[in-house]
Amino acid sequence: MNDDRKRWWIAPSILALALILAVGWGYGEYRNKNQLGIALENHYQRLFFDIKKHVENVQVNLSKALVSQSRDQNVLLLSQIMNEAYFAQDKLGQMPVTHAETSKTEKFLNQVADYSFELIKSHLDGKALTKEQRKALGNLRGNSATFNEELAKLQSELADRDFMMSSLNKRQSKKVREGNEKILMTSIGSVEQNMAETPELIYDGPFSDQMINRKPVGLSGGNVSKEQAKMAAKRFFGEKRVNKITSFEEGKNAADMRIPAHTFNIEPANASKELAVYIGVTRQGGKVLWMANSRPVSKANISIDQAQDKALKFLKNKGFDNMEPNYYLKSDNTVLFNFAAKEKDVTIYPDLVKVKVALDNGEAVGFDASSYYLNHRGDRNIEKAKITSKEARSKIRTNYDINSIRLALIPKGKEEVLCYEFKGKYEGSDYIIYINALDGKEEQILQLIKDDNGTLTF
Amino acid sequence: MKRFIVMTMIFVLFFLSMIMFYEPKDYQGETASRYNMFFAPQILYWGSRGEDVKNVQWQLVKWKYLIGKVDGVFGADTYRAVRRFQSKNGLKVDGVVGPSTAAALGITLSGRKAPASAQGINRKGDEYLLARTIHSEARGEPYLGKVAVGAVVLNRVRSPIFPNTIGGVVYQPLAFTAVADGQINLTPAKDSIKAARDALNGWDPTYGCLYYWNPATSTSKWIWSRKVTLKIGKHWFGI
Repeated sequence: MNDDRKRWWIAPSILALALILAVGWGYGEYRNKNQLGIALENHYQRLFFDIKKHVENVQVNLSKALVSQSRDQNVLLLSQIMNEAYFAQDKLGQMPVTHAETSKTEKFLNQVADYSFELIKSHLDGKALTKEQRKALGNLRGNSATFNEELAKLQSELADRDFMMSSLNKRQSKKVREGNEKILMTSIGSVEQNMAETPELIYDGPFSDQMINRKPVGLSGGNVSKEQAKMAAKRFFGEKRVNKITSFEEGKNAADMRIPAHTFNIEPANASKELAVYIGVTRQGGKVLWMANSRPVSKANISIDQAQDKALKFLKNKGFDNMEPNYYLKSDNTVLFNFAAKEKDVTIYPDLVKVKVALDNGEAVGFDASSYYLNHRGDRNIEKAKITSKEARSKIRTNYDINSIRLALIPKGKEEVLCYEFKGKYEGSDYIIYINALDGKEEQILQLIKDDNGTLTF
Repeated sequence: MKRFIVMTMIFVLFFLSMIMFYEPKDYQGETASRYNMFFAPQILYWGSRGEDVKNVQWQLVKWKYLIGKVDGVFGADTYRAVRRFQSKNGLKVDGVVGPSTAAALGITLSGRKAPASAQGINRKGDEYLLARTIHSEARGEPYLGKVAVGAVVLNRVRSPIFPNTIGGVVYQPLAFTAVADGQINLTPAKDSIKAARDALNGWDPTYGCLYYWNPATSTSKWIWSRKVTLKIGKHWFGI
């Protein structure tokens, strides 16, 4: 009894201590949360103000480019437009708005930049703006003006309401959040709707609609049925090795794929169920587009040269004659070879086929001819070079150390150009320089990064 | 009875303090260490050759772990010497000269010295970020489904309606749930890394798709307005 009275205070004081600690901890957390919230909000505000500024600059520079009569001035203006449009696009992609609300705006900005780059190139080739191009620039200016106006409206509305963009991500009272979402989404959404009305830009850059919606030119013949495609897949892999073949479920728009195809899952004989082989067969013509064997390769028994021979034999077997190996990349005990077609001593880079060989038994575990069927033309008429390799050589720096020279067809937008290919070294690094074989223009430079696992091109 | 209360209080206090001082496991740090495991730039092992091997051998001969020639070839003798050195110095005994063993030997592995124009240019960052995305978004999927997710990310990079870098696409707000909830920081499994490489090498089993969704968990109605092309594993793919 006596003891109990002495210690009556222990329990409450421990409780009190616990409470103090809990409150202290809670306050710390609360402050942390606020600080993070403010940092995020500041970041979003900055993005917003930046986007506004970049779009303004796009608009202003587009107007200047339309006024200017000097080609040199236009090159400078267009390069600024390109920069500002990419900046705006990049920052728009970081805003807390759903992709559905921004996709057209992003496309607009990307295409402004891309189109400007194309115009810069044609200016440098000595061409002036055509009527259509001026009209296109005018349309782009119209669009950027709409966007800019919408942003200005949004800006004043946000300032008026003490709007917090980061509140879009936070758990708040539902009403406030929905209200906020509405402001940002609807005003950006209304830009979206106006974007829809502009005509398609016609040019050759990587972001142009023509390049994105390009259809394969290397396929001929009518469409094959799924069963026929299945047979083609079986034949390609070897009928005896197929235990079971199933097709992947296709959606209602399957014909809208870049290269419409049927996809199959092959269960190879004498292998566990997980180790599937996948294969894609084109609808048009029933050609095997790609094949991939996902089995792990644990050992390397053959050399890269031996693997290359196996890959060449595999290609010949599948009907690809005159293919020439170019680069390889080694990883996970497999080697991926890039083969380009060769015609009349000209290397045709667009006709690219990739073959992956397992280094344990030399089996081809990967095959990809998408690029080949996208670009290959049976009736390709390769022009004769108009300048000699010596003349082309004179267009390159004199201290560029050349290892090999050959003729090659390289892609340029939708076109293909015949070039002299100069592989060589400059200041210790490897490059390939392409000189147009018709007019001697320096078309492209690639930098090669070589290491033990192969070559990467940049 | 009182003793019971006191004990309870102490327990409560103990657990409270545990909550307060609990630091969540620093998975960023772990990711970094795993990153080095997968992508360590220079490792010497049985069969390696070159200047670096010579340096290792010099050091081992000097410290009497290795009796033999300094020939720049990592053979059986060098292997045994490295193992002896590692066990004497409290390192992991694996007969491989990685960064830590090299540091203990007092040498830095140079690899092949790249000229300034080529220094640090590689694909490892892309591979790793893509592998993390694949792992967080599709680790339960068949291999084809993993490559397909990687291919969708890369198709987005090339598309004008999305950001133009892998980082931009992956970290675009409200784009990937696994990025929003932090699963992106999980260490990717080997399969995901392999899938990332296959996707970067150009394999696109989606034939140009820009979207994918899991019909069981997707809440967005908008996504069903896309053009639906193909189902791989649990995911529908669309343009």
